[in-house]
Amino acid sequence: MRGHAALRDAVIAAIALVVVLAIPFLHRSPAFEDFIIRLSAMALFATSLNLLVGNTGMVSFGHGMFYGLGAYVFALTMQMTELSLPVVAIFAVLVTAVGALCVGAICVRLSTDYFAFITLAVQMLFFSVIISWQSFTGGDQGLRGGIPRREIFGFELASQLHLYQFCAVVAVLGLLALRHISASPFGQTLRMIRDNETRASFLGVVLWRARLWAFTIAGAFAGLGGVLAALFVSGAYPELADWPNSGQAIFAVMLGGIDSFLGPVLGAMILLALNDVVTRFTEYHGLVLGLVILAFALGLRRGVLDFLRLAWPGRSR
Amino acid sequence: MSGLVTRRTILAGGTASLLAAPWVARAQANTLKIGMQSIMSGPIALLGTSSRNGLMMEQDRINAAGGFLGRPIEFVIRDSKGQPQEAARVARELVNSTGCELLIDAEASSASFAVQEVVRDLGNIACIHTNSETSSLTADPKIRAPTAFRVARQGVHDAVAGSIHLAAYADAKKLNKWATCSPDYAYGRDTTAQYLQFFKQFKPDVEVITDAWPKLGQPDFTEVITKLIQAKPQALFTLLYAGDLSAFVNQGNVYALFSQMTVATPNVDYPVLAAIKNLPAGIQSATRYLETFPDTPANKEWGQAYLKRWNERPTNWSWQNTVAMQFYEAAIKKANSLDAKALAAALTGMKINTPFGVDGTITMREDHTTIGYAIGWGQTTPKEPFIVDVKAADWGKIIELETEWKKQQKYI
Amino acid sequence: MDLDALGACLTTSACVVTQTTSGLIVGMLLFLVAAGVTLIFGVLKIVNFAHGTFYMLGGYVAYTAIGITDSYAFAVLSGALAMALFGALFERVLISRVYGSNVLMQLLVCYAVVLIFDDLVKIVWGPEFHAMGMPAAFQVPPLFIAGGVVPPFYAVLIGIAALIAIVLGVGLSMTRLGKTVRAAALNPQMVSALGVNTTALFAIVFAVGGGLAGLAGALAAPVRSLSPGMGFSILIESFIVTVIGGMGSIAGALVSALLIGMVRGFGTIGFPKFTDGLIYILMIAILLLRPQGLFGRRS
Repeated sequence: MRGHAALRDAVIAAIALVVVLAIPFLHRSPAFEDFIIRLSAMALFATSLNLLVGNTGMVSFGHGMFYGLGAYVFALTMQMTELSLPVVAIFAVLVTAVGALCVGAICVRLSTDYFAFITLAVQMLFFSVIISWQSFTGGDQGLRGGIPRREIFGFELASQLHLYQFCAVVAVLGLLALRHISASPFGQTLRMIRDNETRASFLGVVLWRARLWAFTIAGAFAGLGGVLAALFVSGAYPELADWPNSGQAIFAVMLGGIDSFLGPVLGAMILLALNDVVTRFTEYHGLVLGLVILAFALGLRRGVLDFLRLAWPGRSR
Repeated sequence: MSGLVTRRTILAGGTASLLAAPWVARAQANTLKIGMQSIMSGPIALLGTSSRNGLMMEQDRINAAGGFLGRPIEFVIRDSKGQPQEAARVARELVNSTGCELLIDAEASSASFAVQEVVRDLGNIACIHTNSETSSLTADPKIRAPTAFRVARQGVHDAVAGSIHLAAYADAKKLNKWATCSPDYAYGRDTTAQYLQFFKQFKPDVEVITDAWPKLGQPDFTEVITKLIQAKPQALFTLLYAGDLSAFVNQGNVYALFSQMTVATPNVDYPVLAAIKNLPAGIQSATRYLETFPDTPANKEWGQAYLKRWNERPTNWSWQNTVAMQFYEAAIKKANSLDAKALAAALTGMKINTPFGVDGTITMREDHTTIGYAIGWGQTTPKEPFIVDVKAADWGKIIELETEWKKQQKYI
Repeated sequence: MDLDALGACLTTSACVVTQTTSGLIVGMLLFLVAAGVTLIFGVLKIVNFAHGTFYMLGGYVAYTAIGITDSYAFAVLSGALAMALFGALFERVLISRVYGSNVLMQLLVCYAVVLIFDDLVKIVWGPEFHAMGMPAAFQVPPLFIAGGVVPPFYAVLIGIAALIAIVLGVGLSMTRLGKTVRAAALNPQMVSALGVNTTALFAIVFAVGGGLAGLAGALAAPVRSLSPGMGFSILIESFIVTVIGGMGSIAGALVSALLIGMVRGFGTIGFPKFTDGLIYILMIAILLLRPQGLFGRRS
């Protein structure tokens, strides 16, 4: 049974990738390509957060710290060493995973409300370290001077088209991996913990260990998103690790649908598209965004994808 | 029958608009779009809005004189909210999608560095940074970009000018014990360090007995103020600015701080003056923008025109953006082109006449940054013109020490 | 780190008095804001992420009010009452719709309000920062107590905040309304079943919470800068206070707000570049050692 679903997921991913890669050959639109590049980073970030929020019931307010950590490790290593891009990218994700493991070890034992606040506190601490350790991180000015040697297998990532292709591939593969994890027995365990942790532990699940794994995996994928973000800005900036950025991921999850795998991706799409369109017409984007969010939160009462699936039931998960 | 008519009408309409399209497109294509991005929201929104005000006045003046290369100019203005990734996106959109042929980057801090990378990657657009005061943007050869320039004051210039003035003042009034209070981020830390470095060069017996590092945007400075009062310095140097400086002055007045020590800051400008109701007299301050310095009719005229149009006084950011447009105007005339490389060649080393230069001119140096703009130090008074006894800084000395500092930083 | 300076300060009565006063003023204003957060959470189980907006609007309303009547007392009352009204409206119109929802949905609603009002403030009062200026009555030199500096304006503010703390404490424990509120915090269904109009009760709780934050904003307006978006830093600080003190405990909010104030007051002498970091570490320590906070109840 799982084999069928896994095959279906892979086919959908392949089709999506082919479509996305084909678009520039039909029509070049720099704004669209920038949109997809940023969406790739944010989709990974938001979907990884939903592994915690939607799947395990762990509300993390500090997820941005891993997004930022991935970006900084990647940009710093590229600037300070001569290693090639794929090596550095993998290194950045691994370091972020280790970081998530350490932070998770401290945090996961706390119950929901406190877990949310302690992740926020750790993120704020991390952010203040970035700002203070100016000699290493560039402080509030960020890592300047650009990322050198942006090539991978002959693709020059300084070119928008190649960066677009690279980000699309990484995002689709990353999302597919997250989908696989979410649909696996481990993912089911997480959902069981979310629904009734007492029953889960009676069934022999070691709660803190499962949560720690979820936290680490989520952190690692957030770090991967951070790598893409670093490539887009050709550097790393503290704003990537700041609380409002964690908030962006939370909003993407809530707007898109906490109970649907692709909900966060859709939510990210909505947020980015809103941002891009609204800023073209008015400087009062906060007002517009706030009103839109209220309409979603009070009108639909759930994320868009969740709403659609409830309105048109009958499709299996 | 009706269906055929409808279809024919649609066909006719469609053909007509297809034929019209080139005309419509051509009329729009004549306008020269200039992209401008800045912080238009949040606590520092004044940075973006006052920059825009200056630019709008320039747009009118330039268009009245025929525009650039005979084409009317039009600013396309975007708010990046000060977020670097948004600043990068906006810069790319302005150039790639909106068809802007020139860029004015009015961002501050990290966002301006993000825009610098976009300009470097694109390679084919001229960009003038107008609000970033961090030296490394142009001083560091690794960060400098071939088609990006800076028309703004620099932290290191202010530091030299300030130290010279303060050292002389401190010598005259025998103020040897100093304290510092600056916001705890790159600008605050680096610029304070620069000031102190040059200060000690001119007055070796100066002693910093205590320092305070409040957070940028911190609402309450009381614990910092009381710490400073108890340390009993003779003088206080602070790099707090805008709302923070206003709050610090108001909260300092509660503790009568200003009667216990001389206060020196480069950052008293019109917005701070407008917000503070009881401005203490005798604060040593630099001028960021002052209608009476340089004391020329041209400067006064501009300041009055700005006040009349926007019902608020100009800021430092207002004049910097204005001068940027004056540089573009002169460079485009000289190069007779909008090509980024041609403009870059024209801008490098260019000197223009402008009311904001200390001798009526400002020069764009080979390292893509401006010198010769008006820096003066004077002291505050509670009524117009608010800063009096303004003495102009010595640019020769500024450049000499700046060069030494650049060697220290291994920029040259 | 400057532990010598810290030691020197702690052994001088002048320094202790002065820094304690500054810690008190920071702490008491923070308490007023945090009390609202903790009250709203205690009774309604809602984390009010829009609380900073109440503080901000309280300050702006006071700023406008004093421009009209030149009376600081009127300005403070206006700020507090306007925010009490706004709090009740906010609860009735928006919060009441998301009571049962996921906490993140509540966060979303609150955040939307923050965004909307940050821009509205910018539209109405402009993007530049404002300051009210010290009312004439308080433009007097500071007092000297035990060698330490105590400004009369701050002494009055501390007094007002202390009075409010007492009223809140007494009100909650001794008055009928207070007991109903505490009962509703423990068991809202039962309270409703007993015939209490919980709808009105919840609106009142939000009105009190909002009014407290508005009062803090108005009281601080003479000396702090007003700008759009100023609510954010107060919000974060009040959350830290509430977490350390215990969500739902007014006494906890008072103690931890004062604690934070003192950490700032003496931390700035001993740890000038790391004062914020100290506070985050304190928050993390409490969450690890005693997650329910100093005065909170283990749920």
